[in-house]
Amino acid sequence: MTIIHNRPLDDIAETAPTIAGNAFTRAFSGGSLWRLIGMLLLILILGFLTIYPLAMLLYGSLHSTPPGMAGEFNLNGYRSIMTTQNLIVLANTIGISLAKTIPSLTIAVFLAWIVARTDTPFRGTLEVLITLPFFIPPILTAMAWGMLANPQVGVINMVWRWATGATDPLVNIYSYGGVIWHMCQYSIPFLFLFMVDAFRAMDPSLEESSRMCGASRWTTFRKITLLLMLPVLTSSFMLSFIKGIETFESALFFGLPAGIKVITTDIYESINHRATPDYQYATSLSFAIMGLMFLLVIWQWWMLRGKSFQTVTGKGFRPSVMELGPWRWVTFAFCVLFFFITVVLPIGQLMLGSFFRFFGFYTYDMLTLEHYRAVFANSEFWRAVRNTMVLGLLGATATMALGAIVAYISVRTRWRGRNLIDSMAWLPWMMPGMVLGVGFLWAFAMLPGPIPIYGTIWALLLAYIALGTPVSVRVMTGAYHQLSYDLEECSRVHGATWAQTMWRIMVALAWPAFAVGWVLTFFGIMRELSASILLYSVGSETLAVVLMKLWANGNAEQVSVIGLMMMLLVIVFRWVQLSFIKSRISKL
Amino acid sequence: MASVTLENVSRMYGAVTAVDNVNLKIKSGEFVTLLGPSGCGKTTTLRMVAGLEKNTGGRIAIGDNVVSDSDKGYFVPSERRRLGMVFQSYAIWPHMTVFDNVAYPLRIRRRPDTEVRDRVMNALRLVEMEQYAERPSPALSGGQQQRVAIARALVFEPEVLLLDEPLSNLDARLRTQMGDDFRALQQRLKITALYVTHDQAEAMALSDRVVVMHGGKILQVGAPEEIYRRPENRQVAAFFGTPNLLNATVKDCRPNGGQYFKLSVEGQGWSGDCHAATEMPKGADVTVMVRPENLHVRDAGQVNGDLSWSGEVSQAIFRGSHRSIMVKTPAQTLHVEASSLSNVDIGRPVTVAAPVEAAWAVRN
Repeated sequence: MTIIHNRPLDDIAETAPTIAGNAFTRAFSGGSLWRLIGMLLLILILGFLTIYPLAMLLYGSLHSTPPGMAGEFNLNGYRSIMTTQNLIVLANTIGISLAKTIPSLTIAVFLAWIVARTDTPFRGTLEVLITLPFFIPPILTAMAWGMLANPQVGVINMVWRWATGATDPLVNIYSYGGVIWHMCQYSIPFLFLFMVDAFRAMDPSLEESSRMCGASRWTTFRKITLLLMLPVLTSSFMLSFIKGIETFESALFFGLPAGIKVITTDIYESINHRATPDYQYATSLSFAIMGLMFLLVIWQWWMLRGKSFQTVTGKGFRPSVMELGPWRWVTFAFCVLFFFITVVLPIGQLMLGSFFRFFGFYTYDMLTLEHYRAVFANSEFWRAVRNTMVLGLLGATATMALGAIVAYISVRTRWRGRNLIDSMAWLPWMMPGMVLGVGFLWAFAMLPGPIPIYGTIWALLLAYIALGTPVSVRVMTGAYHQLSYDLEECSRVHGATWAQTMWRIMVALAWPAFAVGWVLTFFGIMRELSASILLYSVGSETLAVVLMKLWANGNAEQVSVIGLMMMLLVIVFRWVQLSFIKSRISKL
Repeated sequence: MASVTLENVSRMYGAVTAVDNVNLKIKSGEFVTLLGPSGCGKTTTLRMVAGLEKNTGGRIAIGDNVVSDSDKGYFVPSERRRLGMVFQSYAIWPHMTVFDNVAYPLRIRRRPDTEVRDRVMNALRLVEMEQYAERPSPALSGGQQQRVAIARALVFEPEVLLLDEPLSNLDARLRTQMGDDFRALQQRLKITALYVTHDQAEAMALSDRVVVMHGGKILQVGAPEEIYRRPENRQVAAFFGTPNLLNATVKDCRPNGGQYFKLSVEGQGWSGDCHAATEMPKGADVTVMVRPENLHVRDAGQVNGDLSWSGEVSQAIFRGSHRSIMVKTPAQTLHVEASSLSNVDIGRPVTVAAPVEAAWAVRN
């Protein structure tokens, strides 16, 4: 955008440019004026999405009345959370999270090793099947398991009683074990996805040289492979632990009925399940858990500081594959079993539930399609489908666009303020959905009257964007890191402006990552329950909220129908995403 | 094609000076190479000419046009400098075909389709890649990618062609061939080329003039033979190959009749004649440079050169094209490159001799 033209070497000294012209061109040649406006706008948007609800959380925790009402400031909220009962809640939260992280990590490492480093048959297919549970909204499997392992009428217990003649149930999902069991189903595929590339990308020569030095396969695994994996394992552990503290669905469905409370369900209960919602208590608790998360994140950062991942990233190595002989069918069976338990069983239960008149009475004369008819005739269902779709499409697009811009500025420019926007975008990472929901509850209520966001679908949209931004920034950061600067600079040298380069080179090369991130965000929105349940109102329900309401009314049959629909949607989207990735890989 | 002028060009990164007051004039159609070890500022200099870095001091002109003047805050961005550039990684855009890659500079300038087609095919023909036009670019080998990058840099007839170590990612045999091809192309099209490399052999084979850089400064500018045979100082002398550098004292100095001076020097246990660029006072300490390939091993006591040392063979390594012989003398161990046919025994007393033209003295 330089306005002045090239001038001969000799007369530049005589006809020095005027101050005004100079300032003008300087502003435009570097684009610094537009850059300034753009950066301010970005900071404003991110501030509204992250800093504002956080500030309102603090405000609300000190405020004696619900959002939007006159009240006074005091510390009653913090006083009221300092109880022995809450100490148990805290112990529950941390204990459950630890109890699910350790077995999850072990199984995930085993699965990652099977898929990446052994000659187990059909590894490609197994990988897809193993990761599928991660994409299923937890609310669906929670409801399915609620039906499967119900102590009285659950299918598993009915089969057990029929087979053994026992009168006691085999499993009871409404217990600590049930909560942990359900959390593991999500942690394992998540950790698997997080680690499998590290296993795959490890330089095999590091292991081979250990073998050449005389170490056995097992010693090599212990002394080289595992230690090289240590940074990945540590960060997986921390991530899984943090996610465990944030989880809502498992504790809501299986913990609350058994009287097991964790922090997220306690916040939810104090707003939704009390005669008069105790906002100050809920907000103080939210702020306290934020403090806890902050400490955890600092600890994570401190643990991983200076740890290099260089040995396990970079070039696409072909890792040495271990030949298991007949044992490869055992590992194969293990993967299939995992898929069967986490996907086939819940889907089977939902199908079973949807075709019988009453949940738990599975006889031939009870077969019916009436639940399908009821659901399809229900206008509330269709409204929720529409809401979910609109929120998913808009939310995923907006989140990824924001993430793409933030990541570009923080990775590929040296603009002032890039670190600020990067950390602002990262802030929701330590806010569980429930906490962010409470923060936005206050934030929207405190907005001046002419901005009616509270109680509309836009409230949910903004919360989803805030929740999704850290992930979208991460995805796009990874994509930009893979593109060498040369590709961009080469375009500039050969005559393209900044805007042309952005469009023809950066956008063209980064859009596959954008699309992958988009689908991830879309899944995230479809499964979101904890923030939605606080921010929805009549007319802006999402599918997850409608399911929740039906479940609370004891309508397990219609829940099964809607659950099946969502499951179908998940599988279709996942299939599209995978075939898309495949075509992209074969093209590049 | 245009000339390139750098006047007092500097580049600071915070307190670190990457390029320090560089002055250089590249004539139209000339092939100039910036040569130096990594971190010497050669790539930064090239990137400042390209407009990918802003110079923090001095000014740069391409042809008659100033493109950057730090004092006046004047800076023409890369895309308006009409340059062609070949990157070390080639920067072939992976989402385009070969044709689209080469067509990019023309399409950006909104040329009509027929013109784009003609010029792209011409450029591809120039680098013998026309049959690959419709290939997706990731399906190319390193050498082919390099040819495409050159075609792309030449397609819109740039003012100056900039090359950032374009041969360093190729294997040795291909590197020589591509280098020779490129030099022929450059001379045929009379392109002004600024080339960056750390490979001395490449620099000497390709360039009209070589600029030796070190620590952000220019040490010497000259034709390859000039720099190789008559370095201005010890640093430049040591940069090319592994010369023998001997400490000596000037005994006598007289004009040679030509542009050089003839010196009589004396070192530890040896003496003889050599050449130097400037007049040196008697008693001055100098370094005498003799390249291994200009030294000859003779039987002991047999003196028929202008310079000679006596010693004994301490090591002999057969290298195929020649034989590396180490001769231990009272002054230091001398490295001699002898014919691979020559037969030497370890421990044999010998005399090492060199003609006066092969010995060059610089001030310490």
